[in-house]
Amino acid sequence: MVQKSDFRRVDKYVWELPQDAREDMRVPARLFGDPELFDAAFQDRTVEQLTNTTTLPGIVKYALAMPDFHQGYGFPIGGVAAMRVDTGAISPGGVGYDINCGVRLLGSQIEYEEVGPYLEDLTAALYRACPSGVGGKGRVRVSERELDELVTQGAKWALKRGLARREDLAHTEEQGCLAGADPGKVSARAKERGRPQVGSLGAGNHFLEIDAVEEIYDGKVAQAFGLWEGQVAVQIHCGSRGFGHQVCDDNVKGLQPAVKKYGLQLPDRELVCAPIDSPEGRAYYGAMACAVNYAFVNRQVLASGVREAFEQVLAGKMRDWDLFQVYDVAHNIAKFEEHQVDGHQIKLCVHRKGATRAFGPGYAGLPADYRDVGQPVLVPGSMGTASYVLVGTHKALELTFGSSCHGAGRVMSRSRARKTIWGADLWKEMEGQGIVVRAGSNKGLAEEAPAAYKDVSRVVEVVHGAGIARKVARLRPLAVIKG
Amino acid sequence: MNSRGFEEIEHTADIAIRVRGRSLAEMFANAAYGMACQMAGHPASTDEAAASKTIERTIELTAYDAETLLVTWLGELLYLSEREGCVFTEFDMVKVTASRLRAIVKGGSAAAHRRHIKAVTFNDLDIVHTDAGYEATIVFDV
Repeated sequence: MVQKSDFRRVDKYVWELPQDAREDMRVPARLFGDPELFDAAFQDRTVEQLTNTTTLPGIVKYALAMPDFHQGYGFPIGGVAAMRVDTGAISPGGVGYDINCGVRLLGSQIEYEEVGPYLEDLTAALYRACPSGVGGKGRVRVSERELDELVTQGAKWALKRGLARREDLAHTEEQGCLAGADPGKVSARAKERGRPQVGSLGAGNHFLEIDAVEEIYDGKVAQAFGLWEGQVAVQIHCGSRGFGHQVCDDNVKGLQPAVKKYGLQLPDRELVCAPIDSPEGRAYYGAMACAVNYAFVNRQVLASGVREAFEQVLAGKMRDWDLFQVYDVAHNIAKFEEHQVDGHQIKLCVHRKGATRAFGPGYAGLPADYRDVGQPVLVPGSMGTASYVLVGTHKALELTFGSSCHGAGRVMSRSRARKTIWGADLWKEMEGQGIVVRAGSNKGLAEEAPAAYKDVSRVVEVVHGAGIARKVARLRPLAVIKG
Repeated sequence: MNSRGFEEIEHTADIAIRVRGRSLAEMFANAAYGMACQMAGHPASTDEAAASKTIERTIELTAYDAETLLVTWLGELLYLSEREGCVFTEFDMVKVTASRLRAIVKGGSAAAHRRHIKAVTFNDLDIVHTDAGYEATIVFDV
């Protein structure tokens, strides 16, 4: 078993596990954190799962864990791994079940003091406009044919349906449409589950939040993102719902025979994979891209609901109640990108599981208005605590295949959170801080309590210190809606 | 381990249960009941679903191996629960082999407390043959 002493500190915030620490490792592993976070990696199975990730075929440079790491299944959460397209494998367990779970940030022209008197009404209107909870049905209904169009076209489908603006698409990772989606590779069951849920939040750790921009760290970048101190903003955190869960489930099961077929040796069956350039690998990618696009549309449709709620409550009461899109990022995804490896620019399949792309200035895939500063990296904190807007860097491209953290990261199991935290008390505590709360259940609230998570500010300090993203702004919650 | 042959074990982010059975069929039934308790979110809600038992379905599955069959079985119950808005609590395992399963399942509504399980994972899944029967640890993505 890998020990703490097997790691060596290669930088202030980077610990490296050499390739010879375990026989089956193909590359070293690198873990980002401060000393306390590094110690925490040994409290659960993070290190074992990170080491397992290094065994995947075609992996280059390192398997990486961002500082919000924790035990997951297959990959650790916060895991990043990049595989050569010619000899490497793609792994559905390296993306996860909630494909393209991600965050969208909307900005406004409203000062937070102005919104105070309307916050209760606004939260109630958002709760009505954005369906949440277990099995929640979405805002729009689509036919089978429409669903195929939706998952192929992504946010462009929403634009045609009048549920998006052209500038929303420009401010979405991949412009809201990952190429290569093939609805022919998606099961009938995934489509059946996906059809009624377009425009729904779901349950678990998904949420919708009204925030105030509390502090600006980088005025120039904040200005480029349209952010200013005192501004009201909205975060939407959700993914591809039953559609994505089923796509992953189908492929984790369906690829089990491929492990034998291609003679792969894997330390965990959840790491099941197939060569990228194989019928099985291509089929998974085609289906996964459909789920990625489903999630982009899901957040887009919810954003249209948020705009409706703002108009309904605030029209006529203030000068400008409109919301513009700052950005939308994916947290669980596999994508083809070009990166430098041993002095050569090569095409890789980058798996990010609980990690955010964090490209720096100049990258061609970024919207024109962000190209000079880098992309926004959206890092929601745990419920009721701060969230951060960061900006991607060149250093992230050097160190982490252009990746950064995605949140705070859990430290406490859900069962322990339910036993030690009383949901009703937490509700009262948040309301005592002036936060308006709407939640499906007290138990669900307890599972997502801040005490069950790392301190997001600590995680962000590591990311900032390591240079894999830089701080731009901090948000504090005014209202929280939880499924 | 409780009288229904399962126990919840620690997992930082998701839910994990260890499950046992004297036979493969009993272990599969216990795993399904263990999952139902997690979905219902509270023993009283599981009892509420068990008491109503308004829905009955026959499930027939084939799979690549016993572990894949276990994941497929629990995944089938998750899917039917989402579609029917219910939790299944009674499992008549008509036939279970390492690659085939036939069962009649009954369940009812526990709507007030339902908790979301996204999927059943293969994380470190290994059905172990013990002196007392079979044992496995199952991680659910929530």
